[in-house]
Amino acid sequence: MAAIFNLNHHASYVHWHFIQLSVSNVIVIVLMLIVFAAAIFLPFPHHRDSEELS
Amino acid sequence: MSVHAKRTWTGAVRDRAVSALPPEKLLADKQPSYVASWIYVFGVLSLSSLAVIILSGSILALKGPGWWHFTGVGHFFNSIHLWSVELFFFFMVIHLWGKYWMAAWRGGRARVWITGAVTFLVAIPCALTGYVSQQNFDSQWISTQAKDAINASGLGAFFNLLNFGQMYSYHVLLLPAAVVALVIAHVLLVRNHGVVPPFRLADKLPAVAEPATVDGGAAGPEASS
Repeated sequence: MAAIFNLNHHASYVHWHFIQLSVSNVIVIVLMLIVFAAAIFLPFPHHRDSEELS
Repeated sequence: MSVHAKRTWTGAVRDRAVSALPPEKLLADKQPSYVASWIYVFGVLSLSSLAVIILSGSILALKGPGWWHFTGVGHFFNSIHLWSVELFFFFMVIHLWGKYWMAAWRGGRARVWITGAVTFLVAIPCALTGYVSQQNFDSQWISTQAKDAINASGLGAFFNLLNFGQMYSYHVLLLPAAVVALVIAHVLLVRNHGVVPPFRLADKLPAVAEPATVDGGAAGPEASS
């Protein structure tokens, strides 16, 4: 990761009223929301024998 | 030979276990059709991450801090351990969200929900004790900062974050054993009760007055087809 991103500095923060989150945590939270939404809406691949499911 | 078998505790345990989890339930080869959705995948992704955590952690414990800090392979396994923990929490949170919104405690599944929620809570200190077990300046900084918060909460009466031996024992034995035991109980309860079904759509739709037919009766399925 350090080869891709310059980590040699203080962490950046998002500050809104009493809420303070590091940018890295915000990225992880947003990623989780995106994956959650994708898991709900993306179609699940079906096999030919899926009719056997009760 | 008596026709009445002698009642033993091993036989009673076996009968109860087989009754609760017959082989077709314990190792099911078919699942209900509603399980064919990506949201049902995150439980097993969490389990897979946990397996990688236990395996990489066992190798780290076997080789020791000199290996994980100062060799290339040691760095690699150290990173595998860290990122499998990151993925474990990532997948577990999405699993939690999915189960929360489908009210997975329905149908007598309260213990399934409780064991899952407690696993999440126990996994947090399990991961945090890993931060203070690294044996570097990072772990020294974290432990000296965290001990003030723990002492302020009163929990410092029970353990000391500056006691490396205690924190390392918590991290490699007590808390992982608790997490694995809870996960085993959780999975067995899921096998016993089955995967929670989605809400019935008909229960969520507003009631619609059925159109009247020519003869004044309500149009049933036969009338519309």
